[in-house]
Amino acid sequence: MRRNGIGKTHAGDTGFLALCLLPGLLLYGFFMLYPAVRVFGASLFEWSGTSDTMRFVGLDNFKYLFTDKNALKSLANTGLLMLMVPVPTLALSLFFAAVLSRPDIPERVFYRVVFFFPSIISFVVVAILWSFIYHPTMGLLDYLLKGIGLGGIEVPLLGNEKTVLPAIAVILIWQAFGYYMVMYIAGMDAIPQDIYEAAELDGASKTRQFFCITLPLLWELIRTTLIFSMNGVIVISFTVVNILTAGGPNWASDVALTNMYRQAFGNANFGYAMSIAVVVFIVSVFLSVLSRRIGRDNNDL
Amino acid sequence: MRRIWSLVFLTVLTFSTVWAEGSKETKGEGSVGAASGFANKTLNVAVFQGGYGRDYFDAVAAEFEKDYPGTKINVTASPRIWDVIRPQIVAGNPPDFVYLSEGDQGGLTVGMIKDRALLDIGDVFEMQALDQDAKLKDIILPGVLSSRFCNPYGDGKIYLAPYNYVVMGLWYNKNFFDTNGIQVPKTWDEFFALNAVAKKHGRALFTYQGIYPGYLEEIIFPAVWAAGGDEALKAFSNFDPNFWTSDAGKKTAALLERIGYTDNVLMKGTVALNHTQAQTEFMKGNAMFIVNGSWFESEMKDAPREEGFQFGFAGVPSFDPKTPVSCMASYETFFIPAKAKNPQLAKEFLRYLYTKKSVRLNGEKASGVMAVKGAVELVKDVITPAAYNTYKAVESGMYPVAGRWAVLPSNSKLVINDEVYNPIAGIMNRQMTGAEYAAKLDKIWKQARKEIDAASGQ
Repeated sequence: MRRNGIGKTHAGDTGFLALCLLPGLLLYGFFMLYPAVRVFGASLFEWSGTSDTMRFVGLDNFKYLFTDKNALKSLANTGLLMLMVPVPTLALSLFFAAVLSRPDIPERVFYRVVFFFPSIISFVVVAILWSFIYHPTMGLLDYLLKGIGLGGIEVPLLGNEKTVLPAIAVILIWQAFGYYMVMYIAGMDAIPQDIYEAAELDGASKTRQFFCITLPLLWELIRTTLIFSMNGVIVISFTVVNILTAGGPNWASDVALTNMYRQAFGNANFGYAMSIAVVVFIVSVFLSVLSRRIGRDNNDL
Repeated sequence: MRRIWSLVFLTVLTFSTVWAEGSKETKGEGSVGAASGFANKTLNVAVFQGGYGRDYFDAVAAEFEKDYPGTKINVTASPRIWDVIRPQIVAGNPPDFVYLSEGDQGGLTVGMIKDRALLDIGDVFEMQALDQDAKLKDIILPGVLSSRFCNPYGDGKIYLAPYNYVVMGLWYNKNFFDTNGIQVPKTWDEFFALNAVAKKHGRALFTYQGIYPGYLEEIIFPAVWAAGGDEALKAFSNFDPNFWTSDAGKKTAALLERIGYTDNVLMKGTVALNHTQAQTEFMKGNAMFIVNGSWFESEMKDAPREEGFQFGFAGVPSFDPKTPVSCMASYETFFIPAKAKNPQLAKEFLRYLYTKKSVRLNGEKASGVMAVKGAVELVKDVITPAAYNTYKAVESGMYPVAGRWAVLPSNSKLVINDEVYNPIAGIMNRQMTGAEYAAKLDKIWKQARKEIDAASGQ
């Protein structure tokens, strides 16, 4: 195919492009879209997941969901985690990104690597690692407390209904902040230096520069990572909770996905589990839209 | 020309099959080897590859093929076998013979029971055993076939066949008890009296697998039986709406409260431990008792333990000296899907699994004890001494309580194990009293009963 002009796509090119996109589209359609459609469909049925017969029940599954105290508790717990995790994670990431962008810290590459590490470890390994840190009598946390003289506090964090969710929130924050920190560093590198120089000449302090220059210019990025972080809570909490607490004690750490998994595979209620998935999906979409709305109001540039 | 060749080919084929049929040998005892009676000679077996491994199934399949020449047994084994066979089942094309673990991760067994997708195999147990002059139902341990494990709908029909049986209850360090002259408790009062001894030695009295409170079923079911006998056990498992206000219910709730609220009884930090951590703490001597099953010794064979540690099995104490000590008995099961393509051969394979040769192979390759009379002695030399002792304890008078819930209707959203065991963490954390627990479960029992009655009324 011969191109007559730069930037123009000719008929032959369109065909070629379509062909290139086709495998990706097919895989996406088959493995992502089709199952999603099936999930929405299955939520209207009663199905055990082990037979080829499904019974249509319309919105009964959803009606039950709103009366099922366990499902509601799991959704509430997920909501609590969403309040406790994304904002501190992003705040930490921003802070470290700003600090590690300063040229006067020679070890900053080392810190960047170390902080990024947790986000590339498999979630299962993260959960097992923290199960040992939180171990009531021989965990790292226990030794730390003993070391600073608070050894008297025997806190089985994961065994107490009031402390288990914050304990899990800490794990989720630890796991993710390095990932977003690297994103913010890249974002900050894209900001031209002259703006900072101009501000410096005007007498602005480093903190002032951060809040008035860096933050507004990174706002788009922050809004996107907020959505990522919220979704991350929903997904990663499943693995962490499953391994660390199995939803306990007394459903205190049960999250939406662990409840869904249990109904599907522990109770052979696939239809009902799918309705939980649909509710989680709707809430996710709602939160994403909400965060983009809020972001837009703040961004007046 | 081609037609002549095809005719020759056909003739050769016919004669070779007839010749093969004729040369089949029949064993002297029983009717082993009568494979000519089977129209379909291929059997698809799917097994869970877990603590018992897959070697036993491969070995017994090979033996079966030898004894029934011409048959072909295909064994599919996987630690996640439910993922492998679920699509087959959903497509209406299930394996012929299935072994899934009692843990039932994947929820396949409970799903198939709810869907009534299992084959009625009562007729197999009316048949003669292949190597003994007795009906199969008479060589299975007493009480097993009528228990909920094999008779899920409570209507006397057998849909699941027993495989290995495990015994569960309280364990203690035999060496520690012998050295210090401590008596194994036979009643709960004696058990709690040992708390003083525990304090003296700087250990807690009891621990359990904290984040998996389901392990406590091993003392709860026997406790219900000890409190009110078979009647109470039935009321408990069948969701009798009056259970939690009855004596047995109140006694059970009070027992749990006593464990959580008495100082030094529950080891600190128990509620946050997983099963390996709790079991290790027990073996290191930080608690005097723990709940577990006959797999305990082989599961923890590489785990650290205190000097001279020896596994001792105490069963579950009763509430008064006149009632015997009990234990919880559980049975692994096999089933044949109702839509299996080859139920005939599957039933014969099931019969074969109860022969002495197979029981012995199971002991050698899987370290398991089948729920068959005399199996324990047959495999004595290949199971751990701790396991052997648990089985001997049952044979010498410890009453095995087969604890199992009645089947809830297929649209029930109650995950009954969670409802019963999850709140116990609240009791252990002293945030819930026994009475509150009983009140909570009273509501659940009433709901379950309503759901069952509604479903059967349809």
